[in-house]
Amino acid sequence: MQSLLRSICRARSQGASAKRLLDCAATTPAVAQSAVNQASANLLRPLIRPIGSQVPYHGCFCLKALSLRGLSTAGNAELAVEEDDPTSAAVEHPPRIKFKRPDKTARHVMNILNKEAVEKVRSERDIPDVQAGCIIQMRLQVPENKRRESTLKGIVIGRRNAGINTTFRLRRLVAGVGVESVFPLYSPNIKEIKILDRKKVRRAKLYYLRDRMNALKK
Amino acid sequence: MAAAASRGLLARLRGLSLSGPRVLVPPSRLFSAEPLVFDQDDDDAGWGEGGGGGRIIEARPGVMGPSSVRTGVIGVKCGMSAMWDKWGAKVPITVLWVDDNIVCQVKTPEKEGICALQLGAGQKKEKHLTKPEVGHFRAQGVPLKRKLREFPVTEDALLPVGTTISVRHFVPGQYVDVTGITKGKGFAGGMKRHGMSGMPASHGASLSHRSIGSTGQRDAPGRVFKNRKMPGRMGGVQRTVKNVWVYQIDPARNLLYLRGQVPGPQGSFIFVKDSNFKKPDPSLLPFPTYFAQEGELEVLEPLVADLGDVDPFMAAD
Repeated sequence: MQSLLRSICRARSQGASAKRLLDCAATTPAVAQSAVNQASANLLRPLIRPIGSQVPYHGCFCLKALSLRGLSTAGNAELAVEEDDPTSAAVEHPPRIKFKRPDKTARHVMNILNKEAVEKVRSERDIPDVQAGCIIQMRLQVPENKRRESTLKGIVIGRRNAGINTTFRLRRLVAGVGVESVFPLYSPNIKEIKILDRKKVRRAKLYYLRDRMNALKK
Repeated sequence: MAAAASRGLLARLRGLSLSGPRVLVPPSRLFSAEPLVFDQDDDDAGWGEGGGGGRIIEARPGVMGPSSVRTGVIGVKCGMSAMWDKWGAKVPITVLWVDDNIVCQVKTPEKEGICALQLGAGQKKEKHLTKPEVGHFRAQGVPLKRKLREFPVTEDALLPVGTTISVRHFVPGQYVDVTGITKGKGFAGGMKRHGMSGMPASHGASLSHRSIGSTGQRDAPGRVFKNRKMPGRMGGVQRTVKNVWVYQIDPARNLLYLRGQVPGPQGSFIFVKDSNFKKPDPSLLPFPTYFAQEGELEVLEPLVADLGDVDPFMAAD
């Protein structure tokens, strides 16, 4: 009896899947012949019922721990799936996530949400690869300005990657004055981005252009 | 789960056999010092068979009165992001993950003197919990939880032990009060902690650019008054942010999207309750909590707050 439980506990600690536990449970009743083993076979039945005074204290403990952890025998497969779902349903991936620290899981969740949001926007709209040094023409709809569509043309002098909040800085000449604006790349107000030209630059942020006001559209 | 089965089974066996001479004592009770009193707590099946003041609490939808208070919910702060609503305005979003909230204990006026529900969130291994905590979960018949928190409610909002509270407890568009432990800032100086302005950076100010300056008068009173603002530990205390707007809920993944900031770092536990100041229409909120009906289809799409049909930007004309 004790050895049976110990073997199950060992199998579990070695990362055995539910299937291996099943095999373990199935074979052991055939191996041992004692009356005590009958009780253990009953234990491993689908509906785990506490046997009262027949089961030693720590045995019941161990099995309860097993069933609670979702790695348990056949009948509790449904229970295991149910308990998996609240944790893994948050992540939408079938394998259950190892929940060690809440902040790591929290960051993982945010990562996934970010990726999904980006994928969704990318599938709806065609967003070109905007890098520093691109000369861009874009159509922007400003909701505050009574939804007028304005066309902006300028050079991208920097891009900041942050998932759905990826932004790029556009430097353009407005009425003879150089103006820099920051736009979120995945905003629904940006109707269209067209890349007119790509300049060869050797850095990611082109802030040196602020000092060089030669020629238009630079 | 086995603990829950054991308690329910024992109760049923007891009821069936009408307290025969041989009482089935669970092995855990052999080692506990409590008297073997099998008083019935509230089962999911509504089996209110206890003695005298046994209260039958059922998991059924009810009607919300003007002074009713529902439970709150325990969530995990996942992080912040931004979303665009359907009119193109940007909404800063905090994502809360309502992880597996289950009612762990019901406190009634007869036994404990107050009307409250103790919720548990998350999961925890038995080896990571102390024995008293494990015993508490086992006695109530609920799985082992990571965080417990009590929410005072009115009597009509009590729920039986084991009820799951999901994200659909809240309605997008309502206001909530959000409580959390703020980020710790350590030993903070006067400028950070109390917003003092410090001293000039130059012009002869010697060795006191960020100090708090004077702390009082001279011989009269001759002491520093209490509550004088000085450097000290900042952060790491419980604070409540009120009237936070619920923008969206995701019932498939138990996520709650709130507008704005929420106290605490990523991964900390956040307690969300209905707002006290901006109360919504009682008929809109599921009372005492959201119960999935059989006939209803499982809603898997995220529910977004209703922003109205009129474009708020065009209405400025």
